[in-house]
Amino acid sequence: MDYSWVTFANALLLGLSIGSIWLIAALGLTIIYGTAGVINMAHGELIMLGAYSAYCLQTYLGVSYLLCIPLSFVIVALFGLVIERVLIRYLYARPLDTLLATWGVSLVLMQGVRMIFGNDPKYINMPQFLSSNVSFGPLSLSAFRILIIAMTAVLVGAFWYVFYRTHFGIKIRAVTQNKEMAASFGINSQRIYMLTFALGAGLAGLAGSLFAALSIVLPNMGTGYIVQSFLVVVTGGGSLLGSVAAGALTGEIQSVLAYLINDTFARFMLFILIVVFLRFRPQGLFSAGATRR
Amino acid sequence: MSITRRRFIRNASLTAAAAAVAPSLFLPGAKGAWGATLSKGKPIKVGVLFSLTGGLAVPEEDSALVMQYAIDEINAAGGINGSPIEPVIIDAKSDMNVYSEKMRELILRHKVISVFGCYTSASRKAVLPTVMSQRNLLFYPTCYEGAECSQNVICTGPLANQHSRDLIPFMVKTFGKKVFFVGSNYVWPKESNKNAKLWLEQAGGELLGEEYIPLGSSEFGPILNKIRAAKPDFIFSTVVGASDIAFHRQFKQEGFSADKMPIASLTTGEIETRAMGNEFGAGHFLSAPYFQALDNPTNHRFVEGFLASKYGKNGTTHYNMEETYTSAYVFKAALEKAIAGHGIEEVTPAMIRAAAAGVRLEDSVSPEGAVWIDENNFNTWLVPKIGQCQADGSFKIVSQAPSQVAPDPFSIYPDAGKCTAEGLKAANGSIRKDVI
Amino acid sequence: MSSNPYHDKRCQWLMYLVFFAGVGLIPVFIDDAFLLNQFALYGVFGLLAVSISLCWGAGGILNLGQGLMFGLSAYGMAMTMQMQSQDPINNPIPPFMLNNGLDHLPWFWSLFSSTGGGIFLTLAVPTLFCLLFGGLMFSARVSGPFFAIISLALLSAVGTLVLDIQPYTNGANGISPPMPLQIFGAPLDPYSTSMFWVVFVCLCGLTVLAKLITQSKFGQIVHALKNDPERVRFLGYNVALYETLIYTLSGFIAAVAGCCFTLIVQYVSPAQFDVAFSITMVIWAGIGGRLSLLGSIIGALLIQGGQSYLGDSFLNSWMLILGLFFIVVVRFLPRGLAGLIESVLGRLRTPEPAAHEASAALTKSGS
Repeated sequence: MDYSWVTFANALLLGLSIGSIWLIAALGLTIIYGTAGVINMAHGELIMLGAYSAYCLQTYLGVSYLLCIPLSFVIVALFGLVIERVLIRYLYARPLDTLLATWGVSLVLMQGVRMIFGNDPKYINMPQFLSSNVSFGPLSLSAFRILIIAMTAVLVGAFWYVFYRTHFGIKIRAVTQNKEMAASFGINSQRIYMLTFALGAGLAGLAGSLFAALSIVLPNMGTGYIVQSFLVVVTGGGSLLGSVAAGALTGEIQSVLAYLINDTFARFMLFILIVVFLRFRPQGLFSAGATRR
Repeated sequence: MSITRRRFIRNASLTAAAAAVAPSLFLPGAKGAWGATLSKGKPIKVGVLFSLTGGLAVPEEDSALVMQYAIDEINAAGGINGSPIEPVIIDAKSDMNVYSEKMRELILRHKVISVFGCYTSASRKAVLPTVMSQRNLLFYPTCYEGAECSQNVICTGPLANQHSRDLIPFMVKTFGKKVFFVGSNYVWPKESNKNAKLWLEQAGGELLGEEYIPLGSSEFGPILNKIRAAKPDFIFSTVVGASDIAFHRQFKQEGFSADKMPIASLTTGEIETRAMGNEFGAGHFLSAPYFQALDNPTNHRFVEGFLASKYGKNGTTHYNMEETYTSAYVFKAALEKAIAGHGIEEVTPAMIRAAAAGVRLEDSVSPEGAVWIDENNFNTWLVPKIGQCQADGSFKIVSQAPSQVAPDPFSIYPDAGKCTAEGLKAANGSIRKDVI
Repeated sequence: MSSNPYHDKRCQWLMYLVFFAGVGLIPVFIDDAFLLNQFALYGVFGLLAVSISLCWGAGGILNLGQGLMFGLSAYGMAMTMQMQSQDPINNPIPPFMLNNGLDHLPWFWSLFSSTGGGIFLTLAVPTLFCLLFGGLMFSARVSGPFFAIISLALLSAVGTLVLDIQPYTNGANGISPPMPLQIFGAPLDPYSTSMFWVVFVCLCGLTVLAKLITQSKFGQIVHALKNDPERVRFLGYNVALYETLIYTLSGFIAAVAGCCFTLIVQYVSPAQFDVAFSITMVIWAGIGGRLSLLGSIIGALLIQGGQSYLGDSFLNSWMLILGLFFIVVVRFLPRGLAGLIESVLGRLRTPEPAAHEASAALTKSGS
């Protein structure tokens, strides 16, 4: 194996792609955790639901793939809304219990999907123009990975706008910082939490519809994303900016270490680095709520 | 004082060590023997231990279904010496702890005379301590790495030394000398690659790189980048399960094509191709002893019969399934031989195993063509074949070995010794039992 | 002080006596080798539930990575048993190492050549690890969900490493020692009554020890810092030290469970480091009642027993049932089944709810 600057540059480019995949998986979690402090262990299964929605839309209704992406957002956001109304809203005061209850939700979702769709993997057909490789001189990346990077950038931009430039965003930030104070200004925190949860779930669904095309659709596909997403959120500190930074950083570290040593060892080192980092900076890169830990 | 005490401790530990190296004296006593008897006309209980749920269910559920089909077929034809086979089917839930627990349940509680099951080597290793201490018998119907010499396993799939023997020279001759190895990160791919390196050396090929992906991972970006930089003529893959499907899909999406750089796989068969979408499998190669497309009367009967039965809902047959099917007939032949030799009341799992030595299934029984069980190591003599995946997901056989290839579990470890029916025989004549 | 028998220490100890006497009678009534082995295995799960209950229920530290201590000691025991079946002169190396290109025994394996030393290391390594890791984390005031996620990350890291260093651990295939553990030349048959007694003594002894600790002054301080660490810190106590000690004790109990596990199943694999397995342990304690040691054990028995027996008849819906059950418990019974018993007993004795609330608030230590 020769280590040249070209292959190294390719590894950096790929790191960007891996980082964007982790970030898009973690985006919904960031919003839910950052706003309501809910540790949503069912996030991976919401991603899986997004993948299955895209699969059903394409297979049974013949919807084109690009349209499946926003529709998955809507479908899974509705699921999120139901979960929030039926279960999560009773648990906001007990953050550790939300962690446990959502683990129960994840079991139910996974088994429910397994009972409906069976164990065998499903796949999604993507348009021909995404099934190719784009070269920039010696650098190259698949068109689909470029789509994911672009999608991530657009979503981060959209959420920055919603959070910092709209009335709704002001309300969310007010509730995040001080729920009681926000309530005294007439902000309905329950409603904000509910919408945030649905939004976060929808983002998971959107991520799922992208991942479905990248690899395969399986009932247990979500479990692979949950630990990864959490590490991005916790390392980032629960804020949007923190997650962006943490996603990019961990993606690059994973890619470069995988390039220099091997994939499995890269994973191990990444976990260890994160543990060491959190030992010295438990509030993460950029903390969202000043008081929450 | 202190010296005598130290000496006492040393003596005590030497005694313990001596006890440890004399295993036969201290094996769990008579309780370890099979605790039931067969009798004429009464059902013969066998265990069927596969994962029907969880991550391993994709290949294993099909094996469990074909096993039931084979048992129905045998029973419909009169059973074994007039006794029907009664399967005890248990779900191992893709969890190694459950495999181990359920194997104990099958042997100790249901008192089955043999167990058909397991797919991954990890699950085989999880159940073997139980099978060995209870002196039962495991029929292991899939490919594996070898390097094992146990007195309680019969394997009907290809060993690493049979599996890639023809594939590597064929690919080197057809596509070029330069190859890149990709595998899942565990024992079987690594052992298979050791064998493949031997064949590669003999064929004059050149190994450009060797990469392993964590089990279950679906991110092939870093590995595909290395492949792109290395520019091999073909890829030799031992990636398994969901990762394999992700690998083939990302391979095409990243702009690689099967025409210019085909993947020669030991795993990507009809089930995997169906799961990934035919267009992603088309053009790649597989080495296996069985393909659904094999053109012989026994296979036609098997495929048509199975797909028409209540077990054939998935619409495919596969090398794993065929190896499971033949294992049922090996069991039948061996049990008949054991009954003829010892009388039905006396038969134990150990006798079935002894009787299985040299059992031959003719091509009228075995869909892959005639196979037989090796008298020494209890693996299977079979004909590895090479198929190329077509646009419709079926395989076209492009090459096959002229005759059955001998299984050799220690082919790359000649110093370890030879596997014999009694145990692993070293060069100095000493025999070790239960090498796992 | 309290009118609820649930909070009466004598009643609590009586329950312990009844429970362990009942468990101890199992071998008298059961002669089935499989069932005996199965109950020994449930005993191991009970130990794990106790370790979670101690850490999470008593100490307020949610540890989603308890499988790490369990797995490390399970590997240690497997190494000890594997080394027992090796002959130091003719055949010094486990077969899987030869296949992985090792021609000599790695130094850390040779430490397991003597049975006593091996068992010592098996228990000492995870315990020391807890002491170090816990000390580091708690002195940085990492707590709550953060500690849970970090313990999860660490578990994944070690699991990945064990998979990757195949020459030393046999990777995904794990280690299956060909023979049971020999103690002074006699095998400890996993299907025998003696195996059951080994687990029983561990379970009974460690549960009683844990109970005594929660009732001691140390236990009171730990209980206090669970509810308000800042206040305890202002009172001059070293919070990190107390947290580390309770975490280490819980790790030690998990290590004992790991030892027993390998003795019973004669097999260990990276599956012990699965995230799902560690979370299952938390579910046992959550359903049984994390504040109650006995409740946690019963939670483990109920769920694992259900998995083994009901799991086969409700093949496809078992996980669904378990998930729903768990959601219901978290939603309506945050203190688990033990909490349910607590409030039922409370209602029986004190008709006025106000008095019940007051007494519950005064003696929240539970059983």
